[in-house]
Amino acid sequence: MELTKNITLGVYLPGETVIHRLDPRTKIVIASLLIFLLLMIKSYPAYGMILLFLTAVIFISGIPIRYALCGLKPMLPVLILMWFFQLFLYSSPDAHVIFSWWIFTATDAGMHMGNLISLRVFFLFGATTILTLTTSMVGLTDGMESLLNPLRKIGLPTQELVMTMVIALRFVLILAEELDKIVKAQMARGVAFDRGNFIQKTKKLFPVFLPLFINAFKRAEELIVAMESRSYTGGKGRTKMKTLHMGRVDLIAGLIMLIFSAIVILIIFTIQPQI
Amino acid sequence: MEKLIEVTNLAYTYRAGAGNAVTALSGINMEVYRGEFLAITGQNGSGKSTLARHFNGLLTPDRGEVFVEGIPITDKKRIADIRKAVGMVFQNPDNQLVSSIVEEDVAFGPENLGLAPEVIRNRVDWALKTLNIESLRLESPNNLSEGQKQLVAIAGVLAMKPECIVLDEPTAHLDPRSRREVLENVTRLNRNEGITIILLTHFMNEVVFCDRMIIMDMGKIIITGTPQDVFNKEADIVRLGLDFPVAARIASGLRAKGLILPESIIDAEELVNQLCLLK
Repeated sequence: MELTKNITLGVYLPGETVIHRLDPRTKIVIASLLIFLLLMIKSYPAYGMILLFLTAVIFISGIPIRYALCGLKPMLPVLILMWFFQLFLYSSPDAHVIFSWWIFTATDAGMHMGNLISLRVFFLFGATTILTLTTSMVGLTDGMESLLNPLRKIGLPTQELVMTMVIALRFVLILAEELDKIVKAQMARGVAFDRGNFIQKTKKLFPVFLPLFINAFKRAEELIVAMESRSYTGGKGRTKMKTLHMGRVDLIAGLIMLIFSAIVILIIFTIQPQI
Repeated sequence: MEKLIEVTNLAYTYRAGAGNAVTALSGINMEVYRGEFLAITGQNGSGKSTLARHFNGLLTPDRGEVFVEGIPITDKKRIADIRKAVGMVFQNPDNQLVSSIVEEDVAFGPENLGLAPEVIRNRVDWALKTLNIESLRLESPNNLSEGQKQLVAIAGVLAMKPECIVLDEPTAHLDPRSRREVLENVTRLNRNEGITIILLTHFMNEVVFCDRMIIMDMGKIIITGTPQDVFNKEADIVRLGLDFPVAARIASGLRAKGLILPESIIDAEELVNQLCLLK
């Protein structure tokens, strides 16, 4: 399937390591904490700590590093472009000019800003990729449902939202296959999708997406009837076959994360930020 | 025999009141007995799906009444009991599976009933085992064949422990081998687990498994009887535009002559295989 070939975000690599066995809730909370820390970090040593942490997690979970990194490939041009933008556009009063040409002026402050932002995006991507590589989609949705449960009290339909996610995950592949089928059927009837200018190309997509949407609605209607006849009436009164259990590993993982966060926060507040 | 479903004078019209109203059912009187295997056949548009959707309250009658275990399906308060008693399997398995993991999907129904986790686990294990698809437990439906997906869909209904399972053209999308597999499983559910089966199909060769059959046309019931009785009215079946199950008829004729052939023969390939096995 060409549409899903190069995407590692959302792919699950089954395994039996400690990281895999952690309760999905623990992993979601740890990943969220990491993301929160990443948004506060403004110095290289703190990024060094994150790098150390993520490398350790990747090592323990047995994910091939090359595989984890290959998902970054499609993002690389964006990262580089962002770095150059920061280099030339960001400046501060006391910055040293590295070089200047025509209207472009690069300062050391700009360079640091570029570095920090690229590192941030890189690590954000890394943390979420590790989460999805080591946690099954069902684990993730169960974890989310359980974590969001308190919000039910203020009237948020959390179970229904999670059910929607579960169904969406199930149908992503089906619809991707269907899209492929429609495209091939149109090509067989002589539509050349790669020819013509931008507007002509876009016009050719209408006869592809129209049947896709119509089919999606038909499927949705059939699914509703099937769910209804299996007694689905919304989240109320529903139970779960698999209940989540926190164990000793989760406690240890939580403690490690707590200590790690403390160290990173200490670095954030003691070391002079780069900009 | 005890009546599980009773239909009296049922009529149903699509888009009632609009200019292009279509009368799907009119004057339907029938009953389904507990533990029987009933086949409802007819051409596309004969009204069999519309009728079946009344059996668990997905549609409510315009006129007449439908009772499931004595409960009228118009009783909104007891619709949960009706859906628990009558499960339904549809034509396209892709559009009735909810989860990306087989066992999670089978658990969907029991979870909706609000059962305890251990009870759900037991029922899921039992349903998968009964249909011999335990090995698919952790697969994604996307990796399964159409026939396997349909068995998972049946398992999902079976795990709710229904009195009756209605199958709406469950084999229409399947290749001959998967068709036979699904039908054999359905027959086994009827014989071994005592579950009432209502099979909707337009393949006449699938009705050889059933105890009783109904032929519908233009929203009315035309013929009711055992397959043997119905097949003797050859002219009627042909007039109604339905195929005639040649292989099944040859097999039953040969059985009557004393050859030992299994009752499951529904197509030429199977008939040839079984004949070649004879000494």
